[in-house]
Amino acid sequence: MNVRASQHNNVVVQSLAQIGNCGLFLLTLLVAIPRSFRHVRETIRQLWFVGAMSLTIIMVCGLFIGMVLMLQLYNVLSIFGSTSASGMVVALAVYRELGPVVTALLFAGRAGTSITAEIGLMRATDQIDAMEMMAVDPIAYVATPRFLAGLIAMPLLCCVFCAMAIFGGHLVGVTWLGIDNGTFWSNMTAVVVVHTDIVNGVLFKSLVFGAVVSLIAVFQGFTTPPTSEGVAYATTRTVVASSIAILALDFVLTAFLM
Amino acid sequence: MTDTVRATPDDSTLVQIRGLTTVLNGKTIFDALDLDIPRGKVTAIMGPSGTGKTTLLKHITGQMRPDAGKIHVNGQNVPELSREQLYKLREGIGYLFQNSALLTDFDVFENVAFPLRQHTKLPEVLIRNLVLLKLQAVGLRGAARLMPNELSGGMARRVALARAIVFDPMLILYDEPFVGLDPVALNQVLKLIRTLNQTLGITSVLVAHELEAVKQVADHVFLIANGKVVAQGDPKTIANDGSPWTRQFFGGEADGPVPFQYPAGDYAQALGFAGAAK
Amino acid sequence: MSQQRSSYAVGTGLFIVLGFAALAYLATQTSSVANVHQGASYTVDAHFTNIGALKERAPVKIAGVRIGQVQSITLPPGQEVADVKLTIDKSYDRIPQDSVVTIFTSGLLGDQYVGIDYGSSQQFVANGGTLARTKSSQPLEEMLGKFFGAGGVSDNIGGTYTVKADFSNVGTLSVGAPVKMAGVAIGTVQTVVADPVKLDAKVTLAIDKRYNAIPDDSSAAVFTSGLIGSQYVAIQPGGSPDALKDGDEMVLTQSAMQLEDLIGKFLVNGSSSDTKSAGNGKSDIPPAGKH
Repeated sequence: MNVRASQHNNVVVQSLAQIGNCGLFLLTLLVAIPRSFRHVRETIRQLWFVGAMSLTIIMVCGLFIGMVLMLQLYNVLSIFGSTSASGMVVALAVYRELGPVVTALLFAGRAGTSITAEIGLMRATDQIDAMEMMAVDPIAYVATPRFLAGLIAMPLLCCVFCAMAIFGGHLVGVTWLGIDNGTFWSNMTAVVVVHTDIVNGVLFKSLVFGAVVSLIAVFQGFTTPPTSEGVAYATTRTVVASSIAILALDFVLTAFLM
Repeated sequence: MTDTVRATPDDSTLVQIRGLTTVLNGKTIFDALDLDIPRGKVTAIMGPSGTGKTTLLKHITGQMRPDAGKIHVNGQNVPELSREQLYKLREGIGYLFQNSALLTDFDVFENVAFPLRQHTKLPEVLIRNLVLLKLQAVGLRGAARLMPNELSGGMARRVALARAIVFDPMLILYDEPFVGLDPVALNQVLKLIRTLNQTLGITSVLVAHELEAVKQVADHVFLIANGKVVAQGDPKTIANDGSPWTRQFFGGEADGPVPFQYPAGDYAQALGFAGAAK
Repeated sequence: MSQQRSSYAVGTGLFIVLGFAALAYLATQTSSVANVHQGASYTVDAHFTNIGALKERAPVKIAGVRIGQVQSITLPPGQEVADVKLTIDKSYDRIPQDSVVTIFTSGLLGDQYVGIDYGSSQQFVANGGTLARTKSSQPLEEMLGKFFGAGGVSDNIGGTYTVKADFSNVGTLSVGAPVKMAGVAIGTVQTVVADPVKLDAKVTLAIDKRYNAIPDDSSAAVFTSGLIGSQYVAIQPGGSPDALKDGDEMVLTQSAMQLEDLIGKFLVNGSSSDTKSAGNGKSDIPPAGKH
């Protein structure tokens, strides 16, 4: 009994310590931003890896999300004879929730894990130490550029995701199910508000999610024991912690922005 | 080191360590260690596994801070340096990692060019010439466009060496440079260490186990065990100095001052015979 | 190597351009450009006695075209009118001072917005000025009532007199519901309270002073406008020579019919022999001692 209680205690304490360390690590990252300006090229390179390389999966998933959403909505809304509203509902659902959340989850799976694994392996093969020895600050050269790249890439990816979802919804709704093209767009433009839906929904949320996912990914990579087992474990933890953080934060942000 | 007890380093000593004490995870790695590394020579540090030879190198470069003691490198006390001063110092130190630690994102050329690009704003032509010069010195100019995963262990180590010397450092630290090399590659690395020392006058410190290789290249050997220097001297004669440490280490005996048994509790008790013994 | 670097840069640049193109697409193609907060604008005030469900950032429209948005809604302490600040695009700076500001609802269930109907004055409202002529938000019930033929409910609450009527069941009759005679609204329901002793509903009707010759034996009934419409009080004139006066009580009342009963009636084709219909349609004679 006692042992179990203390184990529980340990888990709680360890989780808190992880969160605390993560926060401190964020400070280190932010402090290193001015120093990482000389590594702009590295930031661009990372933007290529975490952003441009994630485009395919984001586009494909966005397309299918839009398509399936439209299909479902069409079936339900046809009961009420208001299928023309389905384009608008697709847009609102994607902008406010699905776009940022699904993009962030995909981003955690695609880019977050590769960041963690890459940094973990760099530590395992002494590359981080080698940078230290070459008088190159690994935080400014490795951590901050990846963090910034995630921060920049997420909103852009989310925009692409949303555009693809609208396109998918249009494809199914208008081309396939025969909703009137003009009604589809006019209903959508009537309800979508740039400030609340696109700026707050798409851009702000995905900016926060991008920061959280890349922070967790970089943090796990830098703090994991530099062994193959440690790297594997850290990669898993990146996905788990990111997913929980994304969904919890989504709730908080939604409540806060409303 | 009975002959040098001066607190300040003189010109003939590049690295001076005094009273170095390090405790890692409750285990004492160094216990008031004193050590001097002469300028312009090749110094070998040997010792049983786990005696903290790599840790010693990390202390010299400031990657780890000791619990007590002074480490003067070229007159500067490393543990007291700020981050900027430390980075400045490290630009004068080359470090060859056990596993080469090439940056896997870049090809051979970019790996060697990396320190130049990070610390200088040299024109591209100059960088190219410098890198090719260093690659030529290690005999790998033709491999400039290969990626690190396309290199053999010996080649990777030579590339890492080219990278370590790209700034013409005053000091190179070799961490186990001979491990895992075939005889040809081993001799190539040996030749490079000797050449670099003799032609450029670079002070070299190498951590190694291979006495035969060390004999060929080192001017001075320190044998470290139990956190102290237990023997030192000329590599050709040190094996015969008669101390139990050198006899065991260079003779390769399984048991001796370095125990075969890892420290453990009473054997009989562990097997449950404690009651019977009483 | 520099080629390698520039290929990253080009690819990343393409990615960024694509991202911003998607953003531009979202912002322009899927949302109305008019929803963007406009640049140069000026502010005017309008006071409403009831803003309904009007929210900040609700659109301000002229002739159905968006020209600005509601900036703030405040209720100044000590006043009973809401102060609504409207931000209007600078290019619409020639709004006559006697224009009427109305709170409308988009469709039956849509959001509320502010509509401006141009007046004829040559004076234009300036930045920080006030548009004095306003029409408040109309509750949905009222609108439904209108829709189902209630006609214009007279708003001039000054000239009314009140009569009382007791109903055993008022259904969903609410305060503000119209009182009609011959289908024309002549007043509104002022209060609906339950009588704690007689356990019926006491309804106060405010009737326009113009209609001061209603016979005092007229009956009052709670009717529903259409099937799903709101309920109203209908007065069926009697034959007495004396007219209802302020504070009088109407004796003959007919309570609200439940929708279920209505439908039941409808289905059995309203046969008069149906006991159910008779039971529901019976006049509700108030107990003696009322007067």
